Amino acid sequence: MNSPGPVNSPKNSSRYSHARAILGPELSKRLPETRVLLVGAGGIGCELLKNIVLTGFGHITLLDLDTIDLSNLNRQFLFRKKDIKQSKALVAAQTAGAFNPNVHINPIHGNIKEPQFDIEWFQQFDVVLNALDNLDARRHVNKMCMAAQVPLVESGTAGYLGQVQPLLKDRSECFDCIPKPTPTSFPVCTIRSTPSQPIHCIVWAKSYLLPQLFGEDENAGTELDDAEKQGENAQEIATLRREAQAFKAVRTALRSESTAADASRMAFQKVFNSDVLNLLSMADMWRSRVPPQPLDFDAIKEGQFKLKHQASNTANPPANGKSIPRKNGSAKGKHEPTNGNNVEPSGSQNGAGLKDQRALSLQDNLALFVSSTNRLAARLQTGKEDTISFDKDDDDTLDFVTAAANLRSAAYGIERKTRWEVKEMAGNIIPAIATTNAIISGLIVLQALHLLRKSYSALKNVHLQFKPTVPLSTINMCPPNPKCGICRDTYAKVLCDPFKVTLGEFVDGILGDGEGEGQGTGKREVSVYEDKRVLSDPDWDDNNARTLESLNVTRGKFLTIVDEEGEWGTISVALGVLPADYPTSGPAFILPSPLPKPPRQVRPSTPPPPAPSLKRSAPDDDDVSEIEPSSKRLKTNGDVTSPNKKRKLDEDGLILLDSANDKMLDEDVIEID
Amino acid sequence: MTGSSHEFQDIEEATTALQSQPDNKTRRYDRQLRLWAASGQSALESSRILVISASATSSSVLKNLVLPGIGHFTILDHASVSHSDAGNNFFLEGFKSIGKSRAEEAVRLLSELNDGVEGKADTRTLESILDTQPEWFATFTLVITHNLEQTILEKLSSLLWSDDTYPPLAVIRSAGFLAEFFIQFHEHNIIESHSETSPSLRIDKPFPALLEHALSLDLSSMDPTEHGHIPYVTILVRALEDWKKKHDGNPPKSYAEKKEFKQGILALKVKYDEENFDEAEAQAYRCWSETKVPSEISALFSDPRLASLGPTSPPFFHLLAALRDFTLLPPYALPLSPTLPDMKSDTNNYIHLQRLYKTQAEEEKRVFKSLLTVPIEDSLVDSLVKNAHALQIMQGKKWGTFDSEKSALVNSLSVSPKETSTHLALSALFTLLSRQPDIPPTEEALRTEIQSVIGQGVELPEQLDDALGEIVRAPTAELPNVAAFLGGMVAQEVIKIITKQYVPANGYCVIDLIETWTGVIGN
Repeated sequence: MNSPGPVNSPKNSSRYSHARAILGPELSKRLPETRVLLVGAGGIGCELLKNIVLTGFGHITLLDLDTIDLSNLNRQFLFRKKDIKQSKALVAAQTAGAFNPNVHINPIHGNIKEPQFDIEWFQQFDVVLNALDNLDARRHVNKMCMAAQVPLVESGTAGYLGQVQPLLKDRSECFDCIPKPTPTSFPVCTIRSTPSQPIHCIVWAKSYLLPQLFGEDENAGTELDDAEKQGENAQEIATLRREAQAFKAVRTALRSESTAADASRMAFQKVFNSDVLNLLSMADMWRSRVPPQPLDFDAIKEGQFKLKHQASNTANPPANGKSIPRKNGSAKGKHEPTNGNNVEPSGSQNGAGLKDQRALSLQDNLALFVSSTNRLAARLQTGKEDTISFDKDDDDTLDFVTAAANLRSAAYGIERKTRWEVKEMAGNIIPAIATTNAIISGLIVLQALHLLRKSYSALKNVHLQFKPTVPLSTINMCPPNPKCGICRDTYAKVLCDPFKVTLGEFVDGILGDGEGEGQGTGKREVSVYEDKRVLSDPDWDDNNARTLESLNVTRGKFLTIVDEEGEWGTISVALGVLPADYPTSGPAFILPSPLPKPPRQVRPSTPPPPAPSLKRSAPDDDDVSEIEPSSKRLKTNGDVTSPNKKRKLDEDGLILLDSANDKMLDEDVIEID
Repeated sequence: MTGSSHEFQDIEEATTALQSQPDNKTRRYDRQLRLWAASGQSALESSRILVISASATSSSVLKNLVLPGIGHFTILDHASVSHSDAGNNFFLEGFKSIGKSRAEEAVRLLSELNDGVEGKADTRTLESILDTQPEWFATFTLVITHNLEQTILEKLSSLLWSDDTYPPLAVIRSAGFLAEFFIQFHEHNIIESHSETSPSLRIDKPFPALLEHALSLDLSSMDPTEHGHIPYVTILVRALEDWKKKHDGNPPKSYAEKKEFKQGILALKVKYDEENFDEAEAQAYRCWSETKVPSEISALFSDPRLASLGPTSPPFFHLLAALRDFTLLPPYALPLSPTLPDMKSDTNNYIHLQRLYKTQAEEEKRVFKSLLTVPIEDSLVDSLVKNAHALQIMQGKKWGTFDSEKSALVNSLSVSPKETSTHLALSALFTLLSRQPDIPPTEEALRTEIQSVIGQGVELPEQLDDALGEIVRAPTAELPNVAAFLGGMVAQEVIKIITKQYVPANGYCVIDLIETWTGVIGN
């Protein structure tokens, strides 16, 4: 007997018999109509997709911009080796969709920050589930969900630790109510002339030397200008400027086939010899510091070079305690078993063949520097790539950064690192395993069900922690932070044609005449921002006659209206597009009805501090646009999101240091041996 | 030019061998190797796991073990796939699997996850193996069961408990949103516990080179920059020594003395913003917290196996004996750890201090090794010395023992009422189901059963009502999310057991996903 199509099968009802018994008839009846947005198809995303397909959510939109990598396969179980380099969203939808034909999965290979994913798009979902690995996208989705008033479940994992947090505007705090620690930055001079830790040399190799040689041809002057403004040593800055000029010659050599063979020596000569000699000429700098030692290409190559600094010999032995280099590999060093069974003999301490964990000698590092430089140069010469930037999964760049960082460490008497360690430090890698993702994903769906059922008292912030006696710790949801610059705004949606609407019209329209219910606050003195750009303020209305489009205020963006007197709360207006069938003769924008009316602010009895508010102060200068907005947020002590101070969960994929001196990367985070 | 291109060819050749790029296996497991390292991976890869029944929950556990790369798994299940299995278990092929062997279908789909793992389906009944081939279980590293019928589970757990050559047993039970799991093991020794507490820096008992270094500093006439970069360890050793000279060789004892000592440290500043001295003040407690063998570690030294140590004793106990002997020598402490924490300092000072610690640690390791009576792998010795302050010997219990100890249950009911109530409710459910498999138990029947287990006079807490309500509502239903959650939790603990790294939960880990909590009882 052929089995009938599953949809019509009388037996199909048994598919959900378990779920119905547990969820109750009301919620399980609604599930097939429920629309879910799942952002991310990585470690958490794969697990989560499986769970929501099994639970029977009817309409799933799955979005991810990433493609599949071999290192995903230890946990992202919807992918196989044959899927490597394919879109995560598409493959995940294919694999999971086959399981339950009643569920519609709409995969999107794209970036959640693209403008078409505007407030209207978000509003079509009943719930949004975040399975993201970076702070920026998390913040973005949080804001969109706050604006669209769509419930969100936020989550993250790191090694054995994880967390789940349900978020709903006005009922709970939002993702941005508690400031997130920002990655440490190092003073320019520490990186460029006075490194003292391995991380300084790694940052130098990754963010300075690699872009200088293989990145865009830009004069790195602005960074130095800024450093000068910050009051860093002027003489040192001048030296660094001269240094930058000399990169030109090396860059040119790397890009021409005839000279490329010598380019690695040129690069070496410049950065590890003449630049060091230059620095040494500034005697002041070395009065209370150990001066660096210029390196000699030929002497190192011949094994004749003597390091002055002993510290470089203290490089950690390889993690598995074996220091014999394994040099017997073939050129590519691949040991793929052919019998499909790659279980190594048991009992070996060396199970997983960690050849990149061996300590590299000075000679090894030189050879690696030369070979990786040549490989990178060859890539530029083929013309397929104009520039190359660091990617932890790009072996050429990782080899280059490893070798360059270690050579610099040698010159400065700093401990050297193995390729394995450099990868972790430069690539901001944090451990990730299937089990933690499974636990967290199960919890996410349960919180999502609570949200859908509107059983708000059951919502919990859940942390998976280290303690064997209490694996889960839960805390009740916290109310919104009254000073939050994201979820305390009053949101509204305006559909418009930005080519036709002027800023003035727009703002006047939103404020309304204030006469009667739903007519807004009425005209008042306001400043208007798009993100951190000021577009107008009470004393500056030059832009009011310009169209939104000319101000680059378009679909997916927000206009923020701040009351100058601080009497009213802030209004954030999300921009959408006019419906396709909208008459061209109609007004160029559709205002919300009622018009937004933010709460009256409790005015402080004393005048507010000089900064207008913690929320939106005008940027000081033009190039702060890349700065994390956390600086304008309330600082609180005690970061509830970090069970362990050293390992922040805020950003899966990023290790956040507590201070510039933090040596966590050396010893605290992961004990490899 | 020709010369140099020749030279580059050589260097190119030299580098091909050392292109230190890892093989595919290392790449695949990169993110987990950073958690449990090669030694943990190697243990996983040589493990053989037996899973009894291919339910949604046990398939979820297996998925989380196959992905990180166990060596082998066997699913023992004689049932065939039902409709509700098909809707519930992601590792079946939906309706196509219905009517086929559950074990074979699940093995086929789970094996797709990782071609480095060997999977095997076994469709015999557990009863038959227990009766005719009990030694078969000894070929596995660990056995996992989910919602196994009570009588046969008792039989299995008794067998595996009867001799320590049998593997640990993970028992999972779930009903609706409630669940628990228990890992039965004889003993579990952990060297790499990945403890979050750090070993002593021995500031109160400085080794000679450290003391000499601290005393050699001329604090008053030192270069101001240098002065601002003395690590707090050095400052404290020096300040303590100076203090002792003035106080008959005693460290600060009373509150007033400690306060005075701290003020003395701040008074050493030559500039107000010397953060290293602030740090020294904050760390001053290290001067009066005595470096000695932690009580948890000295407790291990009284293990009877140390007294009867022989050449065939496990290496762990040889190491432990050497550790005990080491602590009988001055300074009566554990071997020094070679790692220094981060501190305010500059490279020179820090590295100098680090070298003092490393040298001393090497020396102490040498002494430690000389106390060993059998040859032991260096990597194991290193690991032990590094983790000496956090070694663990965990004693396990037989599954079900807790339920036969009335007083322990009663005590647990008052200390952890909701966890214990949930545990009792689940136990009662399976007891009743084993008596009358086809009759869903009533709340009353469950309550009577629980009362008979803990004693008639014992008052039952109100938390029990919630647990019983949930069990009566969904006595056997498996919700995919609960299965996924349990799959993660149990696999996590199983990995800790297999790798002998990190500290696993010991006792019944009880789970309530209505209120979202977990708790461990009965240990």
